[in-house]
Amino acid sequence: MNPLELTLGIMTAVGGFVDISELVFAAKAGSKFGYALIWVFAIATVGIMVFGEMSGRVAAVAKQPVFNLMRHRLGLKLGMLTLLASLIANLITCAAEVGGVAMILNYLTGAPFRLMAIAGALVLMASMWVLPFKWIERTYGLLGLFMIVFAVALVAIHPPWDQIAGGFVPQIPKGLSTKELLIFAYFAVAIVSAVMFPYEAYFYSSGGIEEEWGPKDLPMNKITCTVGFGLGSLLSIAILASSAQLFTPANVDPQLLGSSALEVAIPLGTTGLVIALLGMLFAISGAAVETCMANAYSISQFFGWEWGRHRKPREAPRFTVAWVTFFALALLIILTGIDPMQLVEYAVLFSILVLPLTYLPLLLLAGDKSYMGEYANGPVGKTLGWLYFALISLAAIGALPLYFLTSGGQG
Amino acid sequence: MRRLLFLLLLAGCSKGPEADLQYIGQARSAAAEWALVNEQAADDKLTGIYVDAMRKSLRQQIETAKAALTVPDSAYAHEMATLVATPDNAPPQELRHHAEQLKQIEDSLESA
Repeated sequence: MNPLELTLGIMTAVGGFVDISELVFAAKAGSKFGYALIWVFAIATVGIMVFGEMSGRVAAVAKQPVFNLMRHRLGLKLGMLTLLASLIANLITCAAEVGGVAMILNYLTGAPFRLMAIAGALVLMASMWVLPFKWIERTYGLLGLFMIVFAVALVAIHPPWDQIAGGFVPQIPKGLSTKELLIFAYFAVAIVSAVMFPYEAYFYSSGGIEEEWGPKDLPMNKITCTVGFGLGSLLSIAILASSAQLFTPANVDPQLLGSSALEVAIPLGTTGLVIALLGMLFAISGAAVETCMANAYSISQFFGWEWGRHRKPREAPRFTVAWVTFFALALLIILTGIDPMQLVEYAVLFSILVLPLTYLPLLLLAGDKSYMGEYANGPVGKTLGWLYFALISLAAIGALPLYFLTSGGQG
Repeated sequence: MRRLLFLLLLAGCSKGPEADLQYIGQARSAAAEWALVNEQAADDKLTGIYVDAMRKSLRQQIETAKAALTVPDSAYAHEMATLVATPDNAPPQELRHHAEQLKQIEDSLESA
């Protein structure tokens, strides 16, 4: 294992972990319920570690990307349904991310939102066209490390560390009314969805194939997923904790993307604000690229087209047309004037509905010795995999009723 | 299942102060955040561009919440109208006062 490669892999995973939905839901969760939802972030992070590692392992050993498996394991009809649902979920997520990029550029430059959406989308598309896969992943992941300023800001406000540590223990706050309990449940479901977004597995496993992983890369896969995703999740928890500390006493339920940057500006001033905005810009830009590419990967793998950024655009023409089209569609959605924050809600909702169908074929294949041989899921992997599958299935069943009963967490 | 469907239907069709609660909460939060932004701006901790963008978005939120009210002639609607007419650089105390007024209304409606 090359230590430089490993460090870069971990740093990329840390910087690329947070996206617009985590930023929004972490800040909202902290202001509404203090530290009481930290454990949901922690549990969901273990979930994405489990499935991330599994998708990387399957890519390295069976050389099978997620959507190829899906067609074989679920059959054509159910596979097609899953493909369609995940394309929609990823498109909504990508549009929300493009909207987030435009909002941050607006906070940084003051230029009109729509103009920034077009400019931002063009720059991101140009980077996807020019950069090879590894550098797309690294550029956004490493620049996303500016997000570490959120952890620095948390330390600077001297939070009650004992209460934050207490938040890691599963709990439901006492004395909540029925309405508040439903909102708490809605937030729990939304956080699970935001942390375990399906595009992450599609992108990660396809990336493994792009980089031609083999069994020798499995230790790096395991370390990147556990350490990288774990540290990345701590950034979301820092956003939650700062929000609980600064916004709850001020009666603020943050509804804007810019509110998260305010958490940093209060202790660290203008420099902190600009670093936070840059970190958010790169993290969300990375997520926009990943969601768009995840869609192009999915559709290409499902229909057996040539795919991948290790090829030149003209060598995989349908794959290239797919990602350009999905990015253009995401931009068009944002240009209609729809609020990106509303799109975040829809993205989270739609994604949780798709999650069980995404992870089931992966779970089945990762446990199949005829494909995976000695690298098939062991007892721990199997138990964790099925436990998380049950958890996301429950969350998927509860998501829609909770959304309507709580008006999207507003009460 | 029937009870759940009934609750879902109720959530979609309700009117009156109860239904306005979420909009009161949105306006209260926006006013409180506006106060926070102005306070930090006064301490020179924010960039001018960020302050302008945040104020614009927060004002828009209050306007949207006000437009969605089902009881437009109410104490909270008047409070929101006052907030909408408040200048961008209003003192944080003034904005906080409005946020607290809305919070009181919100709490009384919630406990009713």
